[in-house]
Amino acid sequence: MMPDLRTGLHWAGIRGRARADAGPLLLSALVVLLVSVLAGAVPGLMEQTADAAVRDAVRRAGPEADITVTARWEPDDTPDGRARFPRLAEDVDALRDRALDELGPKLSGMLRPPVASVISPTLKITDGNAPRTLRLAYLSGEGGPEVQWVAGAAPAPTVDGTTEVRWFGPPWRVQVGLSEEAADLLGVRAGALLKVVDAERNPKNVQVSGIFRAVDPADPTWAQAPWLLDPAAGADGLGTTRFGGLLSAESLPDARLAFAQDDMRRTVTFTPDPNTLTWASAREVAATTVTLQARSASSSSIDTTSTWHTSLDSVLQRAGEQVDSASTQAAVLLTGILAGAVLVLLLAADLLVRRRSATLVLARQRGASLTALGVELLLESALTAFAAAGAGCLGAYLIAGGVAWPWVVPVLVAAVAAVPAYGVVMAASATRDRKVPANRSARRWARHTGALRRAAAETTVLAAAIGAVVALRQRGLGSGVPVIAPTLTAVAGAILLVRLMPLLTGPALRWTLRSRRPLAVFGAARAASTSGRALPVIALVTSAALATFALVTASTVDRGLAGGAQEAVGADVRVDLVDDAAASTVEAAERIAAAPGVTAVVTGQVTDAARIIADGKIAPARLVIVDSRAFADLLGDPAVRPVDGPRALVRSSSGALPSGVALEIPQQGAPAVRLTADGVAPPVGGATEVVLVDLAAGVPYSPNTIWANGPGAARAVEGLPAVFRASVAAERRDAPLVSGLLLLNWAAAVFLLVAGLLGFVLAAAAGAPGRWVTLSRLRTLGLTPRQARLVAAGELLPVAAVAAAGGPALGVLVASVTSGPLGLRLLTGQVADPALVMPWPGLVVIGAVFLCAVPVLVVAESAVRRRLRLAEVLRVGGTA
Amino acid sequence: MLRIRGVHRRFGDVHALRGVSFDVAAGSMVALVGRSGSGKTTLLNVVGGLDRPDEGTVEVDGVDVTGLTEDGLSRLRRERVAYVFQTFGLIPVLSAAENVGAPLRLARTPAADREKRVSMLLELVGLAGHADQKPGELSGGQQQRVAIARALAASPRLLIADEPTGQLDAETGRSVMALLRAVVESEGVTALVSTHDPVMMALADRVIRISDGQVDG
Repeated sequence: MMPDLRTGLHWAGIRGRARADAGPLLLSALVVLLVSVLAGAVPGLMEQTADAAVRDAVRRAGPEADITVTARWEPDDTPDGRARFPRLAEDVDALRDRALDELGPKLSGMLRPPVASVISPTLKITDGNAPRTLRLAYLSGEGGPEVQWVAGAAPAPTVDGTTEVRWFGPPWRVQVGLSEEAADLLGVRAGALLKVVDAERNPKNVQVSGIFRAVDPADPTWAQAPWLLDPAAGADGLGTTRFGGLLSAESLPDARLAFAQDDMRRTVTFTPDPNTLTWASAREVAATTVTLQARSASSSSIDTTSTWHTSLDSVLQRAGEQVDSASTQAAVLLTGILAGAVLVLLLAADLLVRRRSATLVLARQRGASLTALGVELLLESALTAFAAAGAGCLGAYLIAGGVAWPWVVPVLVAAVAAVPAYGVVMAASATRDRKVPANRSARRWARHTGALRRAAAETTVLAAAIGAVVALRQRGLGSGVPVIAPTLTAVAGAILLVRLMPLLTGPALRWTLRSRRPLAVFGAARAASTSGRALPVIALVTSAALATFALVTASTVDRGLAGGAQEAVGADVRVDLVDDAAASTVEAAERIAAAPGVTAVVTGQVTDAARIIADGKIAPARLVIVDSRAFADLLGDPAVRPVDGPRALVRSSSGALPSGVALEIPQQGAPAVRLTADGVAPPVGGATEVVLVDLAAGVPYSPNTIWANGPGAARAVEGLPAVFRASVAAERRDAPLVSGLLLLNWAAAVFLLVAGLLGFVLAAAAGAPGRWVTLSRLRTLGLTPRQARLVAAGELLPVAAVAAAGGPALGVLVASVTSGPLGLRLLTGQVADPALVMPWPGLVVIGAVFLCAVPVLVVAESAVRRRLRLAEVLRVGGTA
Repeated sequence: MLRIRGVHRRFGDVHALRGVSFDVAAGSMVALVGRSGSGKTTLLNVVGGLDRPDEGTVEVDGVDVTGLTEDGLSRLRRERVAYVFQTFGLIPVLSAAENVGAPLRLARTPAADREKRVSMLLELVGLAGHADQKPGELSGGQQQRVAIARALAASPRLLIADEPTGQLDAETGRSVMALLRAVVESEGVTALVSTHDPVMMALADRVIRISDGQVDG
């Protein structure tokens, strides 16, 4: 069929080539399809996961994420006593309205309706032997909380209107309502007087006006004072039951008079609505809350200006750091996947062009222009690549609800351009009118020029890789460079291995020549002949290295999560009791130690933000006072050693507590305890600033924490406020960000391993014709078919061996160089960078896959080539 | 030495060999001539055991090639038949001496004997000073000389050469032909050479013309 005279294209040729090479074309299409799905969907999924992570972080933070606005009342003192202001409830509502105004409508939309509250100090119920406390609370939420009075009535004012209460008069009466459960437990009815005293043992006059039942116990307003509905027993670990008395708008003024002037403050609490938060909006919320806190902090502390307080910004910052770390790692993995895919596509293009070399050269010799040949090849590859990428993007859209086009473009470009570029270059070089120089020195010069070009290109890649790693280690996350650093390092390492290949095959050939094994000689000779092909080695080693990197990262994060949970809890179980609970702590520890299945119990005092003076400067840190020998045994960490005498173990990520520094721990009414920092403290509770001293150091000791190990520890602490290491680890592992990233790591490892195998198959297929000629010629020397297969295996083995050994080794190197700066600790929750964990079974699998592929390929190739007659060897050109 | 009787070979509808029969005496050099597609190469393949005839028999040194198993054919090629290719077929990373010694390695010849034989053969083909050079460092004629030396290494009884001068210029081709003639005589080997070259025909003891798959005359 003649070419199209208008376009110069030979349509029949295009169709014929496509039919003949349907296999490699379909394989390329499959790679494009898979990568389009992965690369197109993952960024979108990461964005969704980041949103989910932010919501999850806010949910987990609980009250820590609440935004609270606190304001004092106007002073109510008069020359002779205190004034009763009857409209205090309106002041509370006014504070709520003002806070809403300050937040603005956008931020308010991300928060649940505010709850205003006024809560009294804790009173002690003196009636009976059991430890019981009472707090009075006024709550005002969105239309609630609604209650139904089942006995008596709502709390009424003690007096109507404004009045003056003289100093030193009898305790002012205040009426409260009790829940049915509270009334039952206290054994009181409407009208009863509760026998309560404050911390100074001053009696208070609290009367029960009625018994109520919550209309909707799930009303979020109750969350501000849950003990109003359900008396909380033993929440402090000491067996104390907390009761609450509900104040009404009418009895609130009396409650204020019942306590000291500043004891009751107005508080408005905004709880973030996780469902409305996204990763993007969370950053806005964090910035706004920081501004509000900073503005309120600058106000005078004695006026009635509202004070904003929240840890939401910290919660969001922590989540943000995790999201940044996970996003960077996802981008790193995607870059690796893209690199693996592009290398496979290049190998597929190389194979296609080799298969078509005869027809392309013939077409060129018959007058086809390079442009026409290029366009013909481009049409075919574009059709295949766009169809595959379209299907992949559709899949990505269905999975993630969107397509990350920038990630799809590189693989699409490679799929479209590789075959035309290779084809045109091959056709041009095969038909150009440039002879090999007859002059030996001219040939040498041409060879050196080519070698210099190659060395320059390789040096550029190496320099880029070194630059990327240096930038990553110096600037860390967020510099843009980290994304390509691991992939570039893997490619650069692969190039180095290509350069080292002759150092492997050359001596191997020389060794076999000295041996008495003819097959080894032929295999080594073929290996040495083909070891100069760089692309297969780069593709296989890079894929194996990046698959290893993904596996090592996944294993490190997985193990790091356990380490992070250990750092956060310190033992199998940790019990946190309230301060000043020394006696109960010791008693509880003895009870736990006596329980079956408990192997170790240690008590200690943990004080957050303790005032430590290091070298004359205040350095707030978590102060841990503990039997250091028992604690070191409990931790089982050889890095933590017991400390004795006037010394302390320190940990300081800020550098404020260096080893050897002189420490002072101030004491009330006593001289400061002086210690010397000596040794590294464990990150107790995940703290970054820790000072750990032994009981014998002389620091006053009031234990409030129990650590317990052993299979029975969990059961032994039932009823106590305990934190379980297994639960913490499981929670962190199941967190959307971590679980999503681990899944992506595994997917990337599998994809890259498959890509490496595909690359091996393609490289073997590209070299198969040459190998067949050689083996056929060797068979004319007397080799049997089986011996010929062994020689073929000898040719393929070095590449497989380099990929099997060099790939994993390079992957481990890449991981060790980049894992720290990639911020894995942010995901594992560890204080320091986690130690790399070698997934030995996975590494063995990666190595074994390439090595096992050799016999499979040889047998498959032998089966395919069996159709070709040995007789054809006499007519085939080229050297063996 | 070589006895061919009624050999037929078909490739689909193409009848490449149609009842070819002839004998070749030991130690003689026979030139197979004919136009392209006449069946010369097919006949060489059948004789050398690289292909099997559909009908007929081929006996090499008393061995019926057509009845041999795959292993038997391998042994035949290792011990009795050698080939010289148009495109030399040398292993590029091995030196000239190592290429020549390859068949001896397969035959498990002791290293000392192998080296002695290789030196002798390189001397014979006039390349004693090029033993350590790789094929890429040799000219086309020199490479074909190495290929001839390699073919003779295992002392075959039959040397099969398909257009051995096809890739060489006329002068080099003539010298290779002369070498081939000389080694046939010195080594006592029987040679079956397909060629278009009149010089080769002149050097041969006998010329067999193949036309349309049949022996002419």
